[in-house]
Amino acid sequence: MTGRRGKAIVMWTLTLTSVVMLGLPTIIIIGASFTSGDMIRFPPQGLSLRWYGELLGEVAFRSAFWRSLYVSVICTLISIPIGVLAGLATMRYRLAFGRTIQVYLLLPFTIPLVVSGIGMMLFFGEIRILGSLWPVGVALSVINIPFMIWSVAAAIGGLDPELEDAAANCGARPVQIFFTVTLPAIASGIITGALLMFILAFNEFLVSLLLTDSRTVTLPVQIYNSIRNVITPDLAAVSVVYIVIALVTIWVLDRLAGLDIFLRSR
Amino acid sequence: MSDMSKFPMTRRRFVQGAALGAGALMAPSIAFGQSKPDEIVVRAWGGAWGDALKAGVADGFTAETGIPVRFDFTEDNEIKPKIWAAVDQGRVPPIHVNWDTTINATISARRGVTVDLSDLPNLKGLLPIAHPAGLEGYPFVNTYSYVYVLAYRREAFPNGAPTSWRVMLDPKYKKRCALYDDGIGFTSIAVIAGGGSIADIPDNMKPGYDFLRQLKKNEPLLGEDPDFTTWFQNGEIDIACTISVNARAARQNGIAVDWTVPKEGAEVDTDGLWIPRGLPENEEYWAKQFVNHALSRDAQAKWCSALGLPPVYPGLKPPADLVGDPAYPTTSADFTKLVSIPSPVLVDNQSIWFAKFNEIFQG
Amino acid sequence: MKQAPANSWRPIDAVEAVVSTVWPRRWRDKIGWPFIAPALLLVGILVIGLGYIIQDSLHELDIATYRLGDDYTLANYGILAQKTVYRTVIGRTLLAAAIVTGVSLFLALPYAYVLTRTSSSAMRKFLLVAIFLPFFIGQVVRAYGWLIILGAKGLVNSLLGLLGIAPLDLLFNYGAVIFGLIQYMVPFAVLLLLPALAAIPEDVELASENLGANWMQTFWHVVLPMARPGLVGASVVVFTLTLTDFATPEILGGGTTDFIANTIYDSFFEISDPGLGSALSVVLVTIGSALVGLVFLALGTGTLDIARHQE
Repeated sequence: MTGRRGKAIVMWTLTLTSVVMLGLPTIIIIGASFTSGDMIRFPPQGLSLRWYGELLGEVAFRSAFWRSLYVSVICTLISIPIGVLAGLATMRYRLAFGRTIQVYLLLPFTIPLVVSGIGMMLFFGEIRILGSLWPVGVALSVINIPFMIWSVAAAIGGLDPELEDAAANCGARPVQIFFTVTLPAIASGIITGALLMFILAFNEFLVSLLLTDSRTVTLPVQIYNSIRNVITPDLAAVSVVYIVIALVTIWVLDRLAGLDIFLRSR
Repeated sequence: MSDMSKFPMTRRRFVQGAALGAGALMAPSIAFGQSKPDEIVVRAWGGAWGDALKAGVADGFTAETGIPVRFDFTEDNEIKPKIWAAVDQGRVPPIHVNWDTTINATISARRGVTVDLSDLPNLKGLLPIAHPAGLEGYPFVNTYSYVYVLAYRREAFPNGAPTSWRVMLDPKYKKRCALYDDGIGFTSIAVIAGGGSIADIPDNMKPGYDFLRQLKKNEPLLGEDPDFTTWFQNGEIDIACTISVNARAARQNGIAVDWTVPKEGAEVDTDGLWIPRGLPENEEYWAKQFVNHALSRDAQAKWCSALGLPPVYPGLKPPADLVGDPAYPTTSADFTKLVSIPSPVLVDNQSIWFAKFNEIFQG
Repeated sequence: MKQAPANSWRPIDAVEAVVSTVWPRRWRDKIGWPFIAPALLLVGILVIGLGYIIQDSLHELDIATYRLGDDYTLANYGILAQKTVYRTVIGRTLLAAAIVTGVSLFLALPYAYVLTRTSSSAMRKFLLVAIFLPFFIGQVVRAYGWLIILGAKGLVNSLLGLLGIAPLDLLFNYGAVIFGLIQYMVPFAVLLLLPALAAIPEDVELASENLGANWMQTFWHVVLPMARPGLVGASVVVFTLTLTDFATPEILGGGTTDFIANTIYDSFFEISDPGLGSALSVVLVTIGSALVGLVFLALGTGTLDIARHQE
């Protein structure tokens, strides 16, 4: 097991195990969405597009979808500048209390979402911004920002500082260096982070549950509320819609920047 | 509380200011001048419950008044902190009417966040159970009763319904029973099934806790309404302690489920409607009209027969499939078979019973 | 690098001038602070929320009014310390976090390794899509997918039935929850390991093998240490996310394997005791932050790096 062959077998077996484990629920849900019956089961009882029809007809689902989109876009737009600046700060400049700041910036992960949701609900309520949709975007950025910062920091980590020194030697001033040298080089990190922020915001339901009401409900909250009472296949149909969006997004990303950017460390 | 003078005028204060001004000019006709809001938001349980409310109450209300009703399907438990925070912070609450369990409504009433409903005309003539137990006036109004029955999968009991709750201890049903995850509807029954009696509640719950400890060995599943439906559907469980509405809805959806009230009895409780404080005056007025409408003969008949539950409006006929059903108590004889704990006792003890239930099943 | 357009130096010069007045040259090396300030402020929103929580944790619930009393008291923390059920829940959650972190990394490492080393572009794309797709579906729906697969009459048991094997009890227990968490966390771990593994040049591994090491020795002694920043980052993220997870134990646990987040949820929403829920939250945040702080102290911050990059 120690030869080239052995290595390939072990690595690929483990990898394919993960692929199966990750892909199985997806396949089940896609299959279950095409059922003509009333329950989610796999294999589905009879094939039909009935539940997709129900979904399109449901005004509630459609409005919730657009609201989710709006909220995710706001989250991503806020996260990009904050994440880029923070990533630069952590990687390039010496900061006092470095470790404390790091633990502080991980608070979105060490505080459970239920608690973050309640805390922000009380705070936003106090300053009277509860009931609008944009604070939900801000909240979603807060709870996931470490992903953005990490993503940018990882990209900066692979950036050769001599490139910027070279540009300075050619007479470029700091702002110019930033826009013409640094930013293009860390674009991969920014795109990875932005995509992740968008996806996570689009799927978030716990914090959103506490910050939205029936007039501002987002799609994941809508889904969560409806499965509290009865689980019907339109849940599966919604998930398939999510999958289609995912595939389209990934395809667009591949066209624009090439999926390999996730792998670049330089 | 923060200094509210720094914040912009709330809708409520504007309306109050305007109302005061208008009131000064036309005091006697204030009731007629209540402008209609764009919509009334009612929190409701989804699925069969929400459909029943829509068909029985909301549609009729909209037809009469022209005000559309929007449903908020947030869980009753999850909307509590949202409403309370709104009222405490002086904001307009997210809903106009809350369709809630009586226990939750009692808690909100104790907090003082509900609007008094004593002046609703349709309160006259309702069964006594409509009045909140142990409270002055009508901080909320009860609208129907329901029973926590023993629901069972027909195939698992070919010889007929189980006669005692103790069937849950049978090793044959290990990991095939289900309870609500806070023990609701079961804790008091556990006392009786464990050899005690109603008189033991709440001061001597030991027979109940012992029964629960024995039950724990049979590894019951704990969950909420949709879990029970899924579990019955997928054949994961044979027995559940659940509200008859859910068992009936499952049966109507083709799942082979029946229910019974075993010899120890079953817990009976009520649900009600309440209105949070802090709404603008006109919206509060129309919210009260909604609740009033829900108590009318027509609405009660439609709503409660869709749910299959005995209404608080007297003298209405039960739906055909529930005549004589022990889960549909109408006479006092029916009620003696059931276990009814007064709401104040339930509210005072629920966190203690829940903590103990949790300790036993999570430990 | 693309040639900058001919007149781009004008607006950039203008910006440069503004920046010079606002942030003069002599403060340039302290530029870290205004850069990190927005992030600090953003997370500050959470801290303000946490303030309300800490405040609530110091008051006891009054059953008569169902409001938190006015007096400051440590009674809630006392309850947490006394009742064994809370220790059980905390212990259960910590154990799950440790197991999930270990297994997720064990699965994520080969995945990330293969992803960065394979020469086939199509395979790379396939593996990347396989990682991203689950993110889009979300935790809740995936958990329901597993309910269908692992249920008493689910796919696995149907298959076993075909082979004549009795149905297995795969759901509503601790194992099911841990499995559900692993399958949720592996994509996070892979994403966090990718930059670190991509940064290790293949030449280094080749050199090691030329010196006589087999692939396992190379992996253990060369690749893993060089991947350490990624490993630390992935471990910290997976551990904290598992520690605070709510949905998976809720759906796959059958109600009897509550994690800390589920108990907190129950306190706030089921028994309406925000005092107790807040106290448990404070305990959880403290444990989580303390553990993270210890890891950073011992192993450096990894790809979540804050120290000035020396390389």
